[in-house]
Amino acid sequence: MSAQRFFTPWRFILPGAVLGLIILGYPIYRAIYYSMHSIRLHRLGNEVFVGIDNFTRMLSDPLFIRSIRVTVVFTLGCTILAVLFGLTIATIMSSRGIRGTRQARFFMAFFLVPFVTTQIVTAILGRLYIWQSQYGLVNFILGLFGVERVGWLINMQTALFATTVTNAWRMTPLALLIFYAALATISDELIESAEVDGASTWTTLFRIKFPMIKFHIGFVSLVILTSAFREFDVVYGLTGGGPGRSTEVMSVLVYRLGVAQANMGIANAISVIMFVIVAVMTIIAVKAGKLGAMRE
Amino acid sequence: MSTPNYRLRKKVSLGARYAALVFWFLICIVPIATLVMASLKPTALFQTIPQIFSLQGFTLENYRLAIRAGNFMFYLRNSMIISLSALVVVLVVCTPMSYGITRLASVRQKNILVFSVLSTRFLPYVVLAMPMYLFFREIGISGTLAGVIMAHLAMQMPLIVWLMLGFFSGIPIEVEESAVIDGCTPFQTFWKIALPMVLPGLNAAAILALIISYNEFLFAFFLAGRHTQPLTVGITRFVGGVDVGAQYGVVAAYGSLIIVPIVIFALVVNRYIVSGMTQGAVKG
Repeated sequence: MSAQRFFTPWRFILPGAVLGLIILGYPIYRAIYYSMHSIRLHRLGNEVFVGIDNFTRMLSDPLFIRSIRVTVVFTLGCTILAVLFGLTIATIMSSRGIRGTRQARFFMAFFLVPFVTTQIVTAILGRLYIWQSQYGLVNFILGLFGVERVGWLINMQTALFATTVTNAWRMTPLALLIFYAALATISDELIESAEVDGASTWTTLFRIKFPMIKFHIGFVSLVILTSAFREFDVVYGLTGGGPGRSTEVMSVLVYRLGVAQANMGIANAISVIMFVIVAVMTIIAVKAGKLGAMRE
Repeated sequence: MSTPNYRLRKKVSLGARYAALVFWFLICIVPIATLVMASLKPTALFQTIPQIFSLQGFTLENYRLAIRAGNFMFYLRNSMIISLSALVVVLVVCTPMSYGITRLASVRQKNILVFSVLSTRFLPYVVLAMPMYLFFREIGISGTLAGVIMAHLAMQMPLIVWLMLGFFSGIPIEVEESAVIDGCTPFQTFWKIALPMVLPGLNAAAILALIISYNEFLFAFFLAGRHTQPLTVGITRFVGGVDVGAQYGVVAAYGSLIIVPIVIFALVVNRYIVSGMTQGAVKG
């Protein structure tokens, strides 16, 4: 019986496990392998083992350090904006008088639109119609209030801001949706009894509702942190890393070094560093929130 | 606190909340509307926002150019082949895998598998794309559809397994035990008992996978060849270069052609997307 119980689930798992090893395990192994070699694109097969040279060279490169700083600002900015706006709108959506109405369903359907919109189109749209300095939507609206035109994507000071906001626009629906689903499970009786005891709307929000969904806030933050951290499409399409590398997040740097400059060893070294960063973030989150346990 | 005053305050508060929702609705929709409206205007001129939203100068010329000169149908075909093939393989392989993982008796084995899924779920895509770019050349599938599809599989496998784990672990084990007592083989139990019970979840996973594949740019950009590029790479051919200005309208038309179908699809299957996205986070 125990042999039977052991054997049967594995017959279901095996094809997936093998495929996973081929398409996920092997590329990760190759990334580590390449990261310790010096390779040029036109001389494939002639890799020279250089140990940790690529890593030490990278870590002393101001371009790389700068890219880390850009990535941190971009990633944290997206996460903070998306969680903040997601939480605000979800709170309104789940408030009494709105939750469960036909209007709420209508709004929710459209609130998902930024998330399903093709990222590269979002980026191009942002570049040509939203942040464009002369004719763009943002400057048009600011102009109605008498604000001078800003060269959002041309200035090094504002390009990272515009890029971060664009990606946050795309990620907010995820936060909004999960927070809405979580807030909807909080029973009305609980809130009503708190109100009978004299709790104000704000008190019930910050003392009851938000603490009750803190697991979801943590998980959404992890998902948005990691997906903003790996974002390539939006940044590449919007600014290509410019102007003056002021928006060159690590994914874009990997592309520029690896494909455009054909320095694969260095590019893979950065990839491996990115992999380690995400792995550490995931492990911390698992330890903190017992995320792994929730699937048992 | 007098009653009429309280009621008035409630009405004001409801009005304010609706105002906030309308404001957010505009933030979500106006950028997309700008793109679609701009695609219907002559391409040669720069357009201000009022011009874009006016009804004057309506034309479908940009769409003609996007479809003819932009080779839209060719890229659409590639997009479809890539996302549908990846979807079929991912569902056929990952659904039984998730089922198997939730039915493992050994907690240690289960933990190892769940952790491998979780650790690849957040993997930066460049970590896969860079080495794939190199060793696809070595094994001679560089630039082929097969290579791009493999990359898409790698992108979707962790997500789909993760989603399906949640749906399968929601099935009470007693249902299956009684099926086994009635003489079902393990495969029959999976196929006839477990699978029908997670069908809504499977739909949600499939729809999310389809949308993600259709929208994907990075892997296609790194790995696809001239004849295998999907729509997301196709549109970038219009952008960049000095003559961007003259092609604004065509880019808008091309972009609209890409996103309007996916947005309408998402609005129609909204219910499944909601359940798929919530399942990704909420305890199953």
